[in-house]
Amino acid sequence: MRGTLLYIGQRLILIAITTVLVSSIVFLLLHQIPGNAFLNETRTTPQALAADLRHYGLDLPLQQQYVNWVTAVVHGNLGESLVNRGVQITPLLVRETSVSATVGFFALFVTIGLGMLLGVFAALRQNTWVDYVASSAAVVGYSIPAFVIAIFMLLIFGHYFFVWTQGTVYYNVGWGDWTQVPVPAIALGLPYASYVARLTRASMLETIRTDYVRTAWAKGLKARIVVLRHALRNALIPVVTILGPLVTGIITGSVVIENIFGIPGLGKEFVTSILARDYNIVIGVFTFYAALVGLANLTVDVIYPALDPRIRY
Amino acid sequence: MAQAAPVIQPDLELSYEVPEQVTLLTDAWRRLRRNRLALLGGAIIAVLFMVALISIVWTPYPVWLQAVGPTYQPPSLHHLLGLDQAGRDILSRIMGGALITVEVGIGSAVILSLIGIPLGLLAGFYRGRVDTVISFFINIWYGIPDLLVALILVFVLSDALHLIPRGVFVIIVAFSLTRWMDVARLVRGQSLALREREFVEAARMAGGRDLALIFRHIFPNALGPIIVQATFAIPAAVLFEAFLSFLGLGLPPPTPSWGAMASDGYHGMDFAPHIVLAPTIALSITLMAFNWLGDGLRDAFDPRMRR
Repeated sequence: MRGTLLYIGQRLILIAITTVLVSSIVFLLLHQIPGNAFLNETRTTPQALAADLRHYGLDLPLQQQYVNWVTAVVHGNLGESLVNRGVQITPLLVRETSVSATVGFFALFVTIGLGMLLGVFAALRQNTWVDYVASSAAVVGYSIPAFVIAIFMLLIFGHYFFVWTQGTVYYNVGWGDWTQVPVPAIALGLPYASYVARLTRASMLETIRTDYVRTAWAKGLKARIVVLRHALRNALIPVVTILGPLVTGIITGSVVIENIFGIPGLGKEFVTSILARDYNIVIGVFTFYAALVGLANLTVDVIYPALDPRIRY
Repeated sequence: MAQAAPVIQPDLELSYEVPEQVTLLTDAWRRLRRNRLALLGGAIIAVLFMVALISIVWTPYPVWLQAVGPTYQPPSLHHLLGLDQAGRDILSRIMGGALITVEVGIGSAVILSLIGIPLGLLAGFYRGRVDTVISFFINIWYGIPDLLVALILVFVLSDALHLIPRGVFVIIVAFSLTRWMDVARLVRGQSLALREREFVEAARMAGGRDLALIFRHIFPNALGPIIVQATFAIPAAVLFEAFLSFLGLGLPPPTPSWGAMASDGYHGMDFAPHIVLAPTIALSITLMAFNWLGDGLRDAFDPRMRR
């Protein structure tokens, strides 16, 4: 137990370092841009411009700006929005993260739940119509990008079934109702669900042919116990290894999904800020993303030994 | 594939069973031919390439020409896929988009291989400090959302620094700069394993220089997995371009990118769904074809699948 905590602690420090390092790259990249964020405002005067630059510390030399920025980030302060003066970025992004996380967790649930269900059934009924239907769906599904699925779902639920949904799938009417979560989450999770289904099927097929599963059947255990406790637990290991890339994929996918459905999350903020040249927010969102990916990978690494006792930290 | 040991027949007559000599590519092609899904993928890709080539010299209408008919017109005999919100012929634009897709896909696969393969070979061959540095970058990369870095790179390289004009090339560069690590990691592993093999040792004893060892002996033996990895990079690059253009951060407006076309059509989806359907279906089929071919190639090059 103490070893586990120590390991988690070490990893958390590493995640913090990686996060600062990665967002430093984005910080330096964006500060290479000539001019500044206020030049395209036509109504500004040189005095007002100088005051703006002073206010954001943009008149300092780059090294000084960088030192100030790193110090602030370490204290959890991501600065102030360049476009909407006075808006503190950290609380804004924390709020938006909770929105994105709601959709993201549901998507992860769809991915893993649906993917494993399809994979297990396809493996248990190998070479029957169940297997063929599930496998073909998976082979087609994982090539269809999330944003295409989102467009189709919007067309189906927002337009053809308008009477039924009353336009609530389109979020420009406002966000906050839990019934708005499933449609974008399914669009986000479906391509990865196909991938998980393929992986689960392959590893399940391998596992159900092993000696210990045959022994479990021979002992006369119930099918449910054999499948869930003996076969599935081992078949899950390859699936857990891809959880890290999966979370990265869901985060990347959420950028486009949130823009299609108008969900006020991190992804929408990211694109809006790039288009509005609000670099402080762009850097801030990136810092959040780097930290989220790091934490997701850490979670996976902590779950892993629980599933497979052969693996130690 | 190794030379079979001479087999001594019971009648004491010496006979050699010489196994048929096949190269890696012939061998892989034989197994690929049996995979129907991979062949279908290959056929679709062949059609895509043909359409892309044809679109250079001929499309039914110019891809940028507006108002060739009423805007939002659904498919008809004159315009097989209909017209978009600016009255442009969608079939022509799909054809033009095929060219862009091919350029982005192939260009990215080539450039990221050119970056990733040498670095992976060096890391695996020299190990030690070289490996530490390269592996450090590879490991950092696995902790970041790479596509979003690429997105920022496109923005910085083209809009902000004006180093590369916004176009296909900047997308290829940004994608390759953030995705070479996959290939590098794979090649590193291969060359770590191959450098210990007898034929490399023999070549070194024969006085081969490091570069000759790396490129003449190690690289050709890692070719199979490299081809598979590069094939999977193509759909990823195509998807990245569509993703950027859909968000309005990719290719500039008159360019017939499938992602940008989907974004155009998405706004008029409720009364003219044909505009959004054509590019999204074309994109999905293309991605599917490359993934099927990639899966087929992976199985074909995998020695464990040899029967």
